[in-house]
Parts: sequence; structure tokens; C-alpha cells
Amino acid sequence: MTRNVALRLSGTLMLLVSCGTSFAADLIVGMPNWPSGQASANIIKFGIEKELGLDVEVREMGTLTIFAGLDAGEVDVHPEVWLPNLDSLVKRYVDDKKTVKLSPKEVAATQGMCATRETADKYGIKDIADLSDPDKTSVLDTDGDGQGEIWIGAETWSSTTIERIRAESYGYAKTVKLLEMPEDVAMAAVDAASATNEPIVFYCYSPHHVFDLHDIVQLTEPKHDDGKWKIVLPSDDPAGWLSKSSAPVGWAPSHFQIAFATKTAERLPKVASFLSRIDFTAKEVTEMSYALQVEKQDPAAFAQKWIATHEDRLESWTK
Amino acid sequence: MKTDWKAGPNELVLMMSQLPVPYFTLSSRAVHGIAACLALALAAGVTLAYAAETQIFDPKTHKWVEYDRKKARSYYAAHKQVPETFRRQVVKFRTAEKPGTIIIDGNQHFLYLVQPGFTAIRYGIGVGREGFGWAGIVRVGRTAEWPTWTPPAEMVARDPNAAKWAGGQPGGPDNPLGARALYLYQGNQDTIYRIHGTPEPWTIGLDVSSGCIRMNNDDIIDLHSRIEVGAKVIVLMQGASLYKGV
Repeated sequence: MTRNVALRLSGTLMLLVSCGTSFAADLIVGMPNWPSGQASANIIKFGIEKELGLDVEVREMGTLTIFAGLDAGEVDVHPEVWLPNLDSLVKRYVDDKKTVKLSPKEVAATQGMCATRETADKYGIKDIADLSDPDKTSVLDTDGDGQGEIWIGAETWSSTTIERIRAESYGYAKTVKLLEMPEDVAMAAVDAASATNEPIVFYCYSPHHVFDLHDIVQLTEPKHDDGKWKIVLPSDDPAGWLSKSSAPVGWAPSHFQIAFATKTAERLPKVASFLSRIDFTAKEVTEMSYALQVEKQDPAAFAQKWIATHEDRLESWTK
Repeated sequence: MKTDWKAGPNELVLMMSQLPVPYFTLSSRAVHGIAACLALALAAGVTLAYAAETQIFDPKTHKWVEYDRKKARSYYAAHKQVPETFRRQVVKFRTAEKPGTIIIDGNQHFLYLVQPGFTAIRYGIGVGREGFGWAGIVRVGRTAEWPTWTPPAEMVARDPNAAKWAGGQPGGPDNPLGARALYLYQGNQDTIYRIHGTPEPWTIGLDVSSGCIRMNNDDIIDLHSRIEVGAKVIVLMQGASLYKGV
């Protein structure tokens, strides 16, 4: 997901050093810093150890570092590659250099604007067009100026830029105030709104534990249309990106996949086969996110428990 | 800003109307923090310095009636406590934040202390008439019992009541900071914002000064006894106006 790119880049430089170290394990799984990525990295580790008898090490590192490691043969697996967010990396390493392969199994992901069910049912905010109706959005006012506020993402996320473009294109940038802040603050606001039955609208993506914590509905909107999706990023045109951009439609369908090094597939074809059969569902990924983020379960302990209760899945991945 | 105020059997709805809130970036936040706490101290030290622009809905007459600090004080005098909704209580609260985290909702005048089992202890708070002017994630850097209040030089210069405490007003029941203070830090830096007690408990639920977060003394003592230094504090954007990242 676009929003994750900047965040996931942040740990890259710091962890570059660790990539150069030697390791004794048969396989290195890069572990990103978000919950479902941590859970799936550990499920891959314990799954391969159990089914294929190899020694697998999970090592936390940023996405760019993992890709560099896959390319150099120092890392074997990336458990969760978001697309189209990482299209450029996929083009470089998968399509052009062919040093990285993607599993054919995809987990569907979504992003857009969400509301609590209370907001949709009681206040009639159900479609993206409702955000352009000041009579409806005035209930989202929390600072007393009569105009509603909605969270569009964290300041560092690339998706936040696109959400701002979408707000301009749809027109609700004129009727609501667009807030940028860390995700923890936004999610706590959803918690507080739900606890008091106050209306709230916010940027959302799935799989995400908020859908298990609260009764959340995504606002309906026109389907994605490549012909209407014109995004100019601030990095490309600092002064004119907003005026030159237009996106009055929904996001393109997103998904994520497991990636592994081509060298690993040659060295350990059974591992490549195993990884290519892993078929997590969106519901399972949400459960992973919930277990680690909400229930504070340890990723390794969660993975071991998951392995123990999903033997049939492990078997199907091993065949 | 709106607050549904269920005041026991009389069930009132409290409507806060506020001035537009100024916009603060990170770089100006500390400066604003000083100004906010100055205003807080002024409000605490000078009676009725700020009156909230507030209306309450009277369900008997079905009319909005003017509500101000004086009436809040009358309510407190009659009931010896703040309205029910602002009293300390355990509420259902589903969150991914771990127990011990503090979440502050300035719009609704609630402070939540997250507890196990999807519950929280909810306290009523008083906030600035302009909200906080900021939102984000900080932590409790340190705490103090019956903290000393030292009025800023500007206040000492213009206010004889403050001038007598130029060297610091010792902690006690009349001290504007009340029984306890939690000092909010960003990293290792004091943000100048505090969660503290107040000698004026009737102001809980109102927006009467600016800046810091006030609780009645019983509640701040209770909160202080339950939290640990280092506790995560999330200040929501509600009532905080525009926000531009911490």
C-alpha cells in the first residue's frame, strides 16, 4: 500500500548494516514492521521448519533492504509485497533483473474512506458524494467552526497525498477539513467515537484490525478508472501537483504477495513451491493484525499457535 | 463543539460554541504551550476571567438557555459534584492501545485510561476555550504531588494576585495546579503541557481557559495513582483544530 512505502523505507538505512552479516540459517525471511507482515514472516518460518526441516531465521528489516537482499542473495523471502505501491521495485527486480519472483497467490486489499455504521445509518453518510454535502458533514465538526473534519492519513504516507487529490477532485476538500496525523491518533479517535456513538469518517485500508474492533463500513464511490486517475506527486512538481492531478474515482484494486529470491528457488525448489502455495485470506490477515496489534500477541508465539491449528493448510502448501 | 450532557434525572444537552481555533505547527507548539498555560494560570488565578460561550438544552422547556461558568458553579454548589457524564466511571472502550495508555478527547471533555478487557476509566476534563491547539502522541515524562505553581513574569507584572506568588505558590488546595500534575513530554523534551488538578472542580466539562488539561483533584489523584511515568498519551484531533504532525 502506498502509505506504507515511506514508513517502510524509514528502517532501511538503519538495517542495511545487518544485511551484510553472515548467518548460519538455511533461509532468511525478511520481516517488515507491520503486524500482518510480522505474523506471516513467522508463519513462513515455522511452517518451513516443520514441513521441510530447514533452519529458518526471521530478521526485521525494511522493504528496500529486503529487496536489495533478495537481489544479492542475502535474503530469501519477503512475506508481504504490496502492489501497486511497490510496482517500481517489482519492475526493477522481478521484470528487469529477474532476481526476485512473486508468488502467484494474491491477498486482496482495499483502501478508501470509511465510517462507523452509526455514521452511515444515523447521519446518512454512505457515499463519497455525501462528503460534499455540508449539511451532512457538519455533524463531523469537532472544533466548533461548523465544518466537519476527516482524517486522510499520516503525513508521511504517499496515500495521504492521493487522498488529498481525491478530496479536491470529488469536491469535499471544500466542505470538510482534511486532517493528517499518525495512525495511532486516528484509530484512537475511532475508538472514542465508537465508545460515545459520535459520527466519524476516516481514511481506511484493509486488511486492518479496525474492522474487527468496530463496525466499520466503507463509503461507496465510483469504481476505479485508469483514464480518470491522474496523479502528479509533490516530488515531481512541488508547486503544481495538486492542480495538475485529478482522481474522482476509487482506488485501483490493491493486493499483496510473497516474494522470494530467484536463487533461493533454484537452490531450494521445495521452498519455492511451498511459498507459491501459501494462500492467506484477507480475513486471516486481519486476524493476524488483530492478534498482534490488539491482543499484543508475540509474533513467534502467534505463528506457532497458527501452525498447530492449521495443519491441513500446511499440508496443502507442502504437496 | 458539542457535548451530550446527561446530567442524571434532568438530562441536559450541553452545546459548546467556540471561537475558531488557531493553527499550530510543531515548531510553534512549545511556544503555544507556554501561552496556553499562561492563560490557564490566569483563568485559575483571576475569577471569571473567561466565560465559556455555552448553551444548554433544557428538556423541560425545550429551549436552549445560556450557560456559563456561573451556572456551572451553581450546578456544582447544588449537587456537590459535576454532572454525571463527567464523573469518573468505567466504560466499554474497544481499542488497540494497551492498558495504561491515556487518550484525551477534548471535544467531548473526556480522558480515557485504557484498562484490560476493552474497558477504560473515563474522567471528565476541562480544556481550553480554543481546544488544545495541538494533537498527537506524547508521554508522561514526570509527575508531581501538590506541585508548586510559579506565575510567569508577564503575569506577575500585571496581576497583583499573581505577584505575591512570584517566588512560587506552594502546593495546596488553592494552588491552580491542584493535587497532582502529569508533565507531558515529547521524547525527552517537556512540551509545557500538563494534565493537572484544579481548585475549581465546577469547570470540568467546560472550555474556560486555554491549553492544559484540568481534572478535579480526586480524579487527578486517582489517575496519578494508576499510571506509570512513560505512559503513552494520545491527544485526539477533536477540539484540537488543524493538525500537522508531531
